[in-house]
Amino acid sequence: MNPILTALQNVFGDPQVVLIVFLSAFFGVFVGSIPGLTATMAVALLVPITYWLDPISALAAVVSVVACAIFAGDIPNTLLRIPGTPASAAYANDAHNLTRQGKSDLVLGTALVCSVVGGILGAIVLMLLGHQLAKVATAFSAVEYFWLYLLGLSCAVVVSSGPKLNGLLALTIGLLISTVGLSAVHSKARFTFGVAELYGGINFIPAMIGLFGVSEVLNSILDSRHSKLDEKRKTRIEDRGSRTSSLLGLGAGMLFRRKGHVLRSASIGSLIGMLPGAGADIAAWVSFAVSKRFSKKPQLYGQESIEGIADATTANNAALAGAWIPALILGIPGDSVTAIVIGVLLMKNITPGPDIFIKQTELVYSIYVIFILANIMLIPVGFAAIKAASRLVRIPKAILLPAILLFCIVGSYSLNASYIDVTVMLVMGVLGFVLERRKVPLAPIVLALILGPMVEERFIQIITGSDGSFTGFFNPQRPLALGLAGVFALVWTSAVVIAIRRQAKSKRKK
Amino acid sequence: MSRFACCFKEHPGLPGFLNFTSFDYAQDMLYILIFAFSSLLLSVFSGCDRRDSFPNRPITFICPWGAGGGTDRISRQLAFRLEQELGVPVNVVNATGGGGVTGHSRGARARPDGYTITMVTVELNMLHWRGLTSISHEDFEPVMMVNQDAAAVFVRTDSQWKTLGELEQVIRDNPGKLKASGTAFGGIWHVALVGWLTTIGLQASDVTWIAMSGAAPSLQELMADGLDIVACSLPEAQVLLKADKIRCLGVMADRRLPGYPEISTFKELGVDWQVSTHRGIALPVGVSESRSLVIENAVARAAKSKEYLQYMGSTGAGAAAMPSEQYTRFLEKTDKAFGSIFAGPSFEGFQHKYGPMLFPAVLSALLGICLLACFASGSLRSTPDREEISRTAMLDMSILIGCVVLYILTAETLGFVLSAAVILLILFSRMRVKSKIAIPATVLLASFVYQLFAVGLRVPLPRGFLGW
Repeated sequence: MNPILTALQNVFGDPQVVLIVFLSAFFGVFVGSIPGLTATMAVALLVPITYWLDPISALAAVVSVVACAIFAGDIPNTLLRIPGTPASAAYANDAHNLTRQGKSDLVLGTALVCSVVGGILGAIVLMLLGHQLAKVATAFSAVEYFWLYLLGLSCAVVVSSGPKLNGLLALTIGLLISTVGLSAVHSKARFTFGVAELYGGINFIPAMIGLFGVSEVLNSILDSRHSKLDEKRKTRIEDRGSRTSSLLGLGAGMLFRRKGHVLRSASIGSLIGMLPGAGADIAAWVSFAVSKRFSKKPQLYGQESIEGIADATTANNAALAGAWIPALILGIPGDSVTAIVIGVLLMKNITPGPDIFIKQTELVYSIYVIFILANIMLIPVGFAAIKAASRLVRIPKAILLPAILLFCIVGSYSLNASYIDVTVMLVMGVLGFVLERRKVPLAPIVLALILGPMVEERFIQIITGSDGSFTGFFNPQRPLALGLAGVFALVWTSAVVIAIRRQAKSKRKK
Repeated sequence: MSRFACCFKEHPGLPGFLNFTSFDYAQDMLYILIFAFSSLLLSVFSGCDRRDSFPNRPITFICPWGAGGGTDRISRQLAFRLEQELGVPVNVVNATGGGGVTGHSRGARARPDGYTITMVTVELNMLHWRGLTSISHEDFEPVMMVNQDAAAVFVRTDSQWKTLGELEQVIRDNPGKLKASGTAFGGIWHVALVGWLTTIGLQASDVTWIAMSGAAPSLQELMADGLDIVACSLPEAQVLLKADKIRCLGVMADRRLPGYPEISTFKELGVDWQVSTHRGIALPVGVSESRSLVIENAVARAAKSKEYLQYMGSTGAGAAAMPSEQYTRFLEKTDKAFGSIFAGPSFEGFQHKYGPMLFPAVLSALLGICLLACFASGSLRSTPDREEISRTAMLDMSILIGCVVLYILTAETLGFVLSAAVILLILFSRMRVKSKIAIPATVLLASFVYQLFAVGLRVPLPRGFLGW
């Protein structure tokens, strides 16, 4: 019998699996929409429960939680400008600025529809090509990763609004902050000033909550003190009653207008998601940057670009399925979620490996069918979540702001049970507030905090391997690395050329 | 009742701050009712259970490594079993960072009331020798060792080295040419490889150690032809080994492992060198004997349970159930062994050629250039549409920041619910929320968040003297 049919039957024919997917979707949306609680944490909480389940149900729970948590990160991102997961940080400003204009329905509808489509496309791409694509992962050594990370960081600068120089400044600040703590390579303490708690470094999740969430609370306080707007009118701009048709209709409309772009973003997402250690975060950024390159309105990116949001949300959900490929075929986890998945599989006496596609064909196809089912389930669950969360903005600001602050504190603390994380959140909040007043974008800092330690590790690995010579970075035996380096050079030369042209144009105008 | 209300009457001398307005009798009643109901909710849900039996509230299980890793998986398996044995929730907290320093320090410094247990790993025997922490095995009361995995040496299947002897010869002929990894510099697998090299009369520098963040990325790098040798445990390499992508040249144990009977030991191959990683449960020093006995019995039953053994067997990890006394002696012995290794020529006085300040130096230079360019182009000038911050706004923001600081300072002693309530009240009053809304909102929010996080999602929140 056709394995795809068997897989469909395994998943859809079993009410238990469908029920588990549904419940896990709720759990995933719930956890994902609370800043500070990550998809990894949600999955780790599920592990003891999976012990009682058969393999397909266990995997259904994990897949469904992850697929829904990444979308749910967009909800606080849009309404409160606090990214629920790092994968949403790329378009935090765009989403929130649109909300301020009363377009939160458009943003959330687009995010929901595009996440669902991205997730389904990602699963289909990998179902058809997964086995072949797995070889790509084995072609990535330290050099390729180094250039990929630099490319990701460049994307963050390219997509930022305002002067690119300020974006670069933000990036360097983020990279420098990321060097605090025990260096991964040398195990030597740096910039810790004798505080043992700082050995762990600056965790990017509290930093992200601070940079976006706390600084936004500070901004709101400033606004409420300064503007003479009627308090009631101001807090109720959202009160337009989001009806089903409008929310999903807006999203679907956006999807049909951007069919080609969505396909492109899904491909970018699945490709990047497949590389162990890259994942949904980088996928969102790269897709956002590529989207800007092809857009007719590039000046809106980083400000209020709904196109960028559509493409980035597509890519980060498409990336999720990709991460399972190296995990299933090579047993190398692409992120912490798939690391847990490998544990679950082994517990069920299923050994990942190249022959999993041959020996366990049905199981592999079932995973992708579950991905598709979970994404379909996301439509009603996500819709309910949006409806519930949209009530948030109707709460008067005087009540809402202290509550948001409390959630920021709890989200930062609960990650690691550490007060240092709460302190980091506060300091980054003030820093974010100051930097934003100087037109320095915040999103590059977050990506720099995530990728900084990885870039350094790769940098030192390459330079140790080639014993100090820079030939290690441009090894002719590694054409893929050279190609990535070429793209990196291209991104920067084009950015510089555009900047010079713009300056010349503005001079001519004067 | 009116006296109760008058506490919140308006004080003209306090502008803005503490500016509660008085309210009439009917509202008064309503408010009192809401308040009473909320307090009831709070006390019921927060579980004012004051039984004397141990344990009667959730236990925190510190895992010094990240979610998804090998230590985390074993911790969660054990936590799940312990929960059934002890009858209270056992919550795993991933206190990560600093190569294990963070988690081990927190576990050792936890209140010795038996409500915090730690999964200590082999790094407990290593970190203090490298001057990274003062915490050692003497800061813990070992309860039971639950896992032990020996180191092994792997190469790609398509490499020409078929035996350990052949690999040794290649290293002898080309000192410093081969690249190896498995973990960070000075990590357990690095020690394992260096120990092998020195046992056969070679030097640590004869193989270039590329620091990687763990076994998984090292194996990926081995597959991508970026490394020649990987040293790590067999369960970590299990998948690639079974898929015949990598070859194991020997395991550094004194006898063959039950899960891998076909792999010869270093001893059989004529190299007298053994090293393994170990994991076990420990309590901070000072837990009363009766309580530590409860924990010990529960851990023993969990570690010997059929399910745990089955789980360990399926992942290829070596299950162990070494009781307290034996485990203590084991830790002492291992600690001495690592002491002499780290004092030896391979690690003592070793200087990284590409040191820890290289990358920050490059970044600082870049930051300097950036700042100069920004000032030159004037791109940092503050936006004209953003007005100056007024005095009141400044005060608002300072109060907000002060509240977070207040929370950080008081949460550990007062507990989450009280600290949160205090800062919420301050902020609400600053935002001129009427007290009849502010107080119920505070009580509801604080107890709701506590319910949601600590009870519902089981993530850590500060527990003060009241336990909540």
